[in-house]
Amino acid sequence: MSGDGRTGLQADGVTAGYGGDPVIRGVSVRAEPGKVASVVGPNGSGKSTLLKALTGVLRVSGGRVSVDGREVTNSPPEDMARAGVGYVPQVDDVFAPLTVRENLEMGGYLLGRGQVGPAMEHVLAVFPRLSGMLRRPAGKLSGGERKMLAMGRVLMLRPSVFLLDEPTANLAPAIARELLEEQVRQLARHGSAVLIVEQRARAVLAVSDHTYVMGGGELRMAGTPAELQADPAFVASFLGGHVQRS
Amino acid sequence: MSLLVASVGFGLITASVLAIAAVGFTLQFAVTDVLNLAFAAVMTAGAYTAYAVNAAGMPIWLGTLAAMAACAVLSVLLNYLVYAPFQRRGAAPITLVIVSLGMALIVEFSVAAVTGGVGVSYRMSQGSTIRLGGLVLTTAQLAIIGISLVVMVAVHALLRYTRLGKAMRATAANRMLARNCGIRASRVIGLTWALTGALCGLAGTVFAIDVGTFTATSTDIFLILILAAVFLGGPGHAYGAMLGALVIGLATEVSAVYIPADYKYVVAFVILLGMLAVRPAGLLGART
Amino acid sequence: MFYLIILLVYAAVDAMACLGLSQQFGVAGVTNFGFIIFQAAGAYVAAVLALPPDTANGGFQTYVGGFGLPFPLPWIGAAAAGGLLALPFTFLVGRRLRGDFAAVGLLVTAVLLNVLVTDYRPLFNGDAGVALVPAPLRQGMFVTTSNAYQVGYAVGGLALAAVIWWLVHRITESPYGRTLRAMRDNDKVADSLGKNLVALRTGALVTGGAIAGLSGAVLVSFIGVWSPAAWSYAETIVLFTAVIIGGMGNHAGAVLGAVLVPVGFEEITRFISNSNPSLPPNLLPSLQWVAIGVLIAVFLWVRPQGILPERKRVIPRRPWPPWRALPAAAAGRGAGPAAGPAAALAVAGTAAAAAPGGSGGPAAGREPGRPAGPAAGPAAGGFPRPARRHPRPEPVRDILRTEGVSKEFGGVHAVAGVSLSVRRGTLTGLIGPNGAGKSTLLSLLAGTERASSGRIFYQGAEITHLPAYRRARLGLVRTFQLASEFKRLTVLENLLSAVPGHRGDSFLGALAGRWYWRADEAAAIERARGLLARFGLERHANDYAGELSGGQRRLVEIMRALMSEPDMLLLDEPMAGVHPELARRIGEGLRELCREGMTILMVEHELAIMDEFCDPVIVMAEGAVLAEGTMAQLRGRAEVVEAYLVG
Repeated sequence: MSGDGRTGLQADGVTAGYGGDPVIRGVSVRAEPGKVASVVGPNGSGKSTLLKALTGVLRVSGGRVSVDGREVTNSPPEDMARAGVGYVPQVDDVFAPLTVRENLEMGGYLLGRGQVGPAMEHVLAVFPRLSGMLRRPAGKLSGGERKMLAMGRVLMLRPSVFLLDEPTANLAPAIARELLEEQVRQLARHGSAVLIVEQRARAVLAVSDHTYVMGGGELRMAGTPAELQADPAFVASFLGGHVQRS
Repeated sequence: MSLLVASVGFGLITASVLAIAAVGFTLQFAVTDVLNLAFAAVMTAGAYTAYAVNAAGMPIWLGTLAAMAACAVLSVLLNYLVYAPFQRRGAAPITLVIVSLGMALIVEFSVAAVTGGVGVSYRMSQGSTIRLGGLVLTTAQLAIIGISLVVMVAVHALLRYTRLGKAMRATAANRMLARNCGIRASRVIGLTWALTGALCGLAGTVFAIDVGTFTATSTDIFLILILAAVFLGGPGHAYGAMLGALVIGLATEVSAVYIPADYKYVVAFVILLGMLAVRPAGLLGART
Repeated sequence: MFYLIILLVYAAVDAMACLGLSQQFGVAGVTNFGFIIFQAAGAYVAAVLALPPDTANGGFQTYVGGFGLPFPLPWIGAAAAGGLLALPFTFLVGRRLRGDFAAVGLLVTAVLLNVLVTDYRPLFNGDAGVALVPAPLRQGMFVTTSNAYQVGYAVGGLALAAVIWWLVHRITESPYGRTLRAMRDNDKVADSLGKNLVALRTGALVTGGAIAGLSGAVLVSFIGVWSPAAWSYAETIVLFTAVIIGGMGNHAGAVLGAVLVPVGFEEITRFISNSNPSLPPNLLPSLQWVAIGVLIAVFLWVRPQGILPERKRVIPRRPWPPWRALPAAAAGRGAGPAAGPAAALAVAGTAAAAAPGGSGGPAAGREPGRPAGPAAGPAAGGFPRPARRHPRPEPVRDILRTEGVSKEFGGVHAVAGVSLSVRRGTLTGLIGPNGAGKSTLLSLLAGTERASSGRIFYQGAEITHLPAYRRARLGLVRTFQLASEFKRLTVLENLLSAVPGHRGDSFLGALAGRWYWRADEAAAIERARGLLARFGLERHANDYAGELSGGQRRLVEIMRALMSEPDMLLLDEPMAGVHPELARRIGEGLRELCREGMTILMVEHELAIMDEFCDPVIVMAEGAVLAEGTMAQLRGRAEVVEAYLVG
């Protein structure tokens, strides 16, 4: 429990789906302030669905979600933002026709009049490369710049919790590594709890403090990256079958 | 030659009236996702509200304000009672268009039932005649052009520099992401209806001033011009609508010099259909 | 008495119009906000064909034509005019334009044509309209007061409406009508099944337009006058209201709507208005329009399917009584007792159904207009598909082969130099982490996307430059990642909609009637039932596809792809979101297909499925092929493990 009352995000037994059968069942995860937690798993394991349920985009049919000790289960997205949850979706993560500056302003929509300027300075300090492109429309940025803007937009509110949905998808490997090792790590260093969903397991393990492995809509394993990498079942959870045999 | 110059003057007036309406229509569509074909009918309701105030002895500018207020309220009600419930239910875009046609009938003919089919006009002075180069304009016509310019600048300022305007553009671009930022999209949409409704009321009044005498069904054709301007500029694109209004306004009036005036709308019609066929996204491309 | 006759004639006219509109809007999903201009065109053309030259009556009205033609020529001309008028609108309802934008375009057209005709007097006497239109069979007489004649006219009108009903019923209940409804439910998927959307929509516009034109002729010949006031754009809304209230896509509903709204509502309030002269003249008509607006909103909210909803087309186990069913052997086309006229129609029918684009290359044998030679009856036993209608190319061991295929999207190499081959008769798996390029590769193979470079060979012939529908006709058929069933078609209808070269799946084939296409239909139903049995969905044959579970809908899609008689299937994550038990059943079904000669290339992320069913499995990573082998072999290879963990 840190001094400012921030305890991060806690999800207990979350069940959710798109109407029919639930896509994820009874998933529990935690993200603590100053730490990076990651959720890995193969395609279709329910990782993105979990994030959508945590941000109020998707209805939670069972379980509970709390942020900084306050229950926010099934709050609409606009209230989640107020509760301190920042969400970077996998696609459609910026307002394409708006300029970079306007995107950041929208990120700081909930801030008071005098707070937007300082918040933007802070964001530009964390992502200095954005400073040179404030007047460019977001739709014209490169993949890496765009993802940086999406994260900067969320950082405007200094949320308690960052939820990142596959931020490195469609990024070249070098840029992806930089994004994870520099920028994502930075978010945690500034005191936020980071929960990152990734398919590039090795890369995200390198920057995580704690990792959850999902498969078939359920939590399969959890532990520190070192523990997981030592466990042959970890590789098997991606490739199925019995890896150690061959 | 002087006829051509005069027609440019008429074109500018038509374009001015059209621009107010088209910008209102296109913003409505961009932010709320409703292609509101009842827009022209609401304009008529505004024109008659101004008439009622004017006929009670008040000046026309007071009537205009009343029209803007009435149309803002009417538009918000239309959304709250009809469009929003249909959207929440996930109705297809075409269903909403049909519903908006139904709303057009209700509004237009409610006005007709109350007012009867008789043409009315405002009690106001057209003012003195002013000559500008070859242009001959009345004070009232100059005022229309002036009001329209002010509105265009105001809309530009709203969208570029205000929190609400940016939130409107953000909501139009990506409603879910706007909500993720903490923007209450339903409130922004409600405000958009009020704002564009006010524009609609203003457009209705200046339209009535421009045409002189009007009835409940006078705006039927004007809806076509609005649609032409909006689709020419690209549906949902505010600056496109301004450009579209200018092109359509000038094209209809100037063409009247060369073809019988009765057929001037055909020009707008050809432009619109050509645009739909060749480039449905409009001159300025994608939505704001 | 006279009033009753007027009502009957109006009922006939409105019923015809509503049937035409329902055919467009309810069946084909084309929203024609300009419907009334087709009725107007019919009325004007009928008028000027029947009228004498405009100098005749002292020249008090002007109009073009004035041919004084005898009945029924003006009516025929009216129907033709309505149909022809539809042609210029084809570009609006083509595939590129959003449905609501096209509807706006048609609305605008309707308003402006009305303005034009009002202002341009030489055409149809402008605002005043044409008058003194002669009544049919009463040459030279303008006003017919004889009771018997009027009764006869009403009966004739109703009989004509009945004929129209019979006609639209014949079209809608045919395989062609099924295709129209499929397009209504999901036009993109219909397109991928080789349906020509532009031709289908044009057909709906022309049919509805001709019917509307005829209805205008019936009306103008009775009332003798026709002016722009009779066809304001709002009249279209009245007809839409009628169809919405009666029930979209249901012919009885369209007629019921016609009786309730335009007839009951308008004519009866007109009657009230006439009998209460003290009311302000504009009040009742205005309130009537308000009421129409309210009806639209209320019905769309409370009962969007209308009073008489579209009925479900249940296909019984035996489609026709056994004594009428043709023996399977005689079910081939051109065979059987109907050979003569059927053969003639087959040429016209297939020509109408043929997609644009020339033939050539290896596709020639299987192009549109497939030769009506070999029998189309169900094959005996085994995989239920008909005998080949195209010469099978020399069998090659690798049915599909690529050489350095690449695809760039804005500088990113989604697929980078993939060379692979798929052996005939295998169930080959394609796996890889997110963004490996699997779905893109599938799109390149199917022709949904064009390769930036490289070559693709199918059955030994190069297909790199063939469009998707041509590859589909060669037997290379894909499915999509997202559910794409036709929701308001039954499962069985979904399957039947994919049958290629069905004789009933063309406008003329539909008109020819059931006898002409029922052999094809019977064979198709038998084949579809075989597939349903194989995949265990028999119980749901007559359920709406939209009501099935997610997994069952994926099955419907696979079966629909199979109905198009492929030699090779490209499946994009067919088991995504499917219950494991059902996934296993799909897998077993697919393996059985392969044993019978089918080749399948399947993208799938559930590796347990790969273990169980696929051999070999191809691994992709970062746009390139990394390895190939059995799942067990692949797990032992470090680069595969790395790819999955590092991505």
